[in-house]
Amino acid sequence: MRVHVQLLIGIRDFMVSFIKDDKISLSEGSGGEEMQNLITTFRDTFGGSGNWNNSDNDSATILIGDKYIFFTSDSFVVDPIFFNGRDIGHLAMCGTINDIAVMGAKPLGISVSFVIEEGFSKSDLDKIIKSIADVSKATNIPVVTGDTKVMECGKIDKIIINTSAVGISDTVLDESICDGDVIIVSGSIGDHGASLMAVRLDFDTNLKTDSKPIVDEVLKIKHLIKVAKDPTRGGIAAILNEMAEKDSVQLYIDESKIPVKREVLSLCDVLGISPYEMACEGRFVCVAKKDDAREVVNLLREFDVNADVIGSVRVGKGVVLKTKFGERILSNPRGRIIPRIC
Amino acid sequence: MVGSLLRDIHNIAKGMPDVSIMEVCGGHTNVIMRYGIRSLLPKNIKLISGPGCPVCVTSQKDIDSVVALALSGVPIATYGDMFRVPGSNMSLEDVKVNGTKIFEVLSTTDVLDLAKEHKDIVFFGIGFETTVPMTAYLLEKNICVYSTHKLMIPPMKALLKDEIKIDGFIDPGHVSTIIGYNVWDELNVPQAISGFSPKQIFESVYEILKMIKSGQKSVVNCYDSVVTCDGNIKANDLINKTMKVSDAEWRGIGVIPNSGLEPKDDECNAKIKYQEILKNVKSEKDNSACRCSEILKGLIEPKDCKLFGNVCTSSAPKGACMVSDEGTCSIAYRYS
Repeated sequence: MRVHVQLLIGIRDFMVSFIKDDKISLSEGSGGEEMQNLITTFRDTFGGSGNWNNSDNDSATILIGDKYIFFTSDSFVVDPIFFNGRDIGHLAMCGTINDIAVMGAKPLGISVSFVIEEGFSKSDLDKIIKSIADVSKATNIPVVTGDTKVMECGKIDKIIINTSAVGISDTVLDESICDGDVIIVSGSIGDHGASLMAVRLDFDTNLKTDSKPIVDEVLKIKHLIKVAKDPTRGGIAAILNEMAEKDSVQLYIDESKIPVKREVLSLCDVLGISPYEMACEGRFVCVAKKDDAREVVNLLREFDVNADVIGSVRVGKGVVLKTKFGERILSNPRGRIIPRIC
Repeated sequence: MVGSLLRDIHNIAKGMPDVSIMEVCGGHTNVIMRYGIRSLLPKNIKLISGPGCPVCVTSQKDIDSVVALALSGVPIATYGDMFRVPGSNMSLEDVKVNGTKIFEVLSTTDVLDLAKEHKDIVFFGIGFETTVPMTAYLLEKNICVYSTHKLMIPPMKALLKDEIKIDGFIDPGHVSTIIGYNVWDELNVPQAISGFSPKQIFESVYEILKMIKSGQKSVVNCYDSVVTCDGNIKANDLINKTMKVSDAEWRGIGVIPNSGLEPKDDECNAKIKYQEILKNVKSEKDNSACRCSEILKGLIEPKDCKLFGNVCTSSAPKGACMVSDEGTCSIAYRYS
C-alpha cells in the first residue's frame, strides 16, 4: 500500500507540472468570452479569408458578379438527442438554415454529415433522418451532399451532425445600427434552452423547444430591417452585446418588454440562471429604423404573436437593461451555464 | 406594493443612526444587485454581503485535496460550480481535461448511477444546510464523501464578534427551509428570513428596521410560504443519523469551531479513507493581493480589491468570490 501511494503521488506531481493551461475546457465551446478568445486564435492563425467577408456574422459572404453568395457551417451535439418532440436532426437543419436566413438569404442547398457511435440505435437514426427530411421538405431546401463516419464505441457520445449551407441573394442584411433605431424580438425567448434543461433535470413542464426555420419570417421583413441575429448559444445576452460592440453603440432594453414565458422564468429562477442566456433555436432579434418598427412587429406577429419591440439603440456602449426598479448592465455570458448549488 | 414598502422604509429610517444589515446568502446578494436595491434604500441603511456562497468559502486546501485524489485515480463526482474554483496550483477543471475521472452531477441521484460503474466514487460534498440532506442520503447508501459542508450560524456568530458592525441579518431562505426559524434566535440580533424576490428583501429590511427601532432582537419569517418553525424534520433526522458536527476551515476566515459536517462512518469519509494520499497535500497561501477574506466578512466591497475587474474577472477568476455565480465579486462584476 505504501509503495502504491508513493507511486500515485509521484504520478500526480508529474502531471501537475505539465498539464496546466494546455488543454481545451468545456467553457471554450459555450458561446461566452472564452469561446470568443478561441475563435480569435483560429482567425489569427488562419490568416486572411480572401475576398470573403467573414467578420463576426452568422455566414461568410462573397460578392460574385452582382450576387452575394452566403456560406455557413455548424456542428451539433445535444444531450438528450430527443427532446419534447424534436431531435438533433431538426436542430441541425434549423441551426444552419437560420444562420443563412439572418443574413437575409435562403439556402440553396444544405449538406448533412454524420459521425455516429458504433452501437447507435438504427431506429433512432431513422427518426433523426426523418426529421431532417421533414425540415428539408417544409422549407424546400434540399439536402444535396453529406458524409457518414462511424466511430468505435465510446470514442464519441452517440452522434454528431454537421450541416453546411450555401445561399444566394442580391443584398446582405448587415447595415450598421445607430442612435434612435429600434430593437425587435420575433417571439418569446429562452424556450429551447429552458425546455432542454427541464428534460435534463427531469422536471415536468409544458415547455417545448422553439426550434424552427425562420427563413420566411426574416425574408418577409428583410426590406424593413438593418440587421438580424439568432440568439442561439449565449441567448439574447450574447447577441445584444455582440451588436453593441460591433457598431459601438448602446442597446437599451426594457426588461418588461422582453417576451419570456412564465414557465421559463420560473425554471430559471429555481436554477439561478438567466433566461437571457438561454439558447433559442427559432427566434431572432432584429434592428429597424424607428419609423419602420411598427410595421416590422405587425408582420412578425403573423408568425408569432409575442413579437415585440424590446428596446432602442443609443449613443454609448454595452447593453443596459431597464429593470423594474432601475437599470443594470446585461453582460456577455461567460462559459457554461451551471445551475446554482443551493 | 413595493412602492409603499419603500416609502415605509424611508419613513422609519428617518432620524435613525447608520444601520448595517448583512445578507449572508449569495442568492440574496444576487437579487439585491440585479434589481439595484441598494440604490433605492435610504443613505443611512447599508446592505453588506456576507460569507453566504458555499463555493467561495471552500478552502484552498480542500480543493487541493480533491485535486490530489482525482490525480491519484480516485473517481470524483461534484456539482459544476466546483470545477473552476482555484486551488494552489490547479482547479478540478484543469485536471478534468487530463483524463482523470471527474464527473459533473446535477443531483446526488446522478452519483448513485455513477457508483454502479465506479464503485469507489467519492462525492465532493459542498454547501450549507440546504444541500446537506442530499449528501446525507448518499452516506446512507454507503457512498464515500469528501465533505466541505458547512453550517451557517457559527460564522454569523463569529462575525458578530469581529471588527465589523452588524445591526441585523437577512437570514438565508433556503437554509431556513431545512433548519427552520427557531434556531436563529440564538444570534440575538434583529433578523428576517427572506425569500428571493425584491419585495421579500424590502419586507425583510423593513422588519429589521422596525426591530432595531423598538430594541427588539428576534426573528421575523418573511418567507413563510416555505420556512416553518422546525424546518424539514425528515431531512434533519437523516443528517443527524449520518453526519457529525466538526471544525471546518473557511477560505479567508480560517478554522471556525463546530462549523462543518463530516460523515459519522469513517469508511464513508474520504478524508480518512485516503489519508495516505491527503497527508502529502501541501497548500500554498492564498494570492496575497486577493482580498476575498475581507469581502467574505463584509469589510470591503469588491471594487476595493485591486485585482477586481483587472486580473480577476469572471472568465479568469483569481479569488473564490469571483468563481461562483453566487459569489459577491462575480455578482458585482456581472451587474456593474
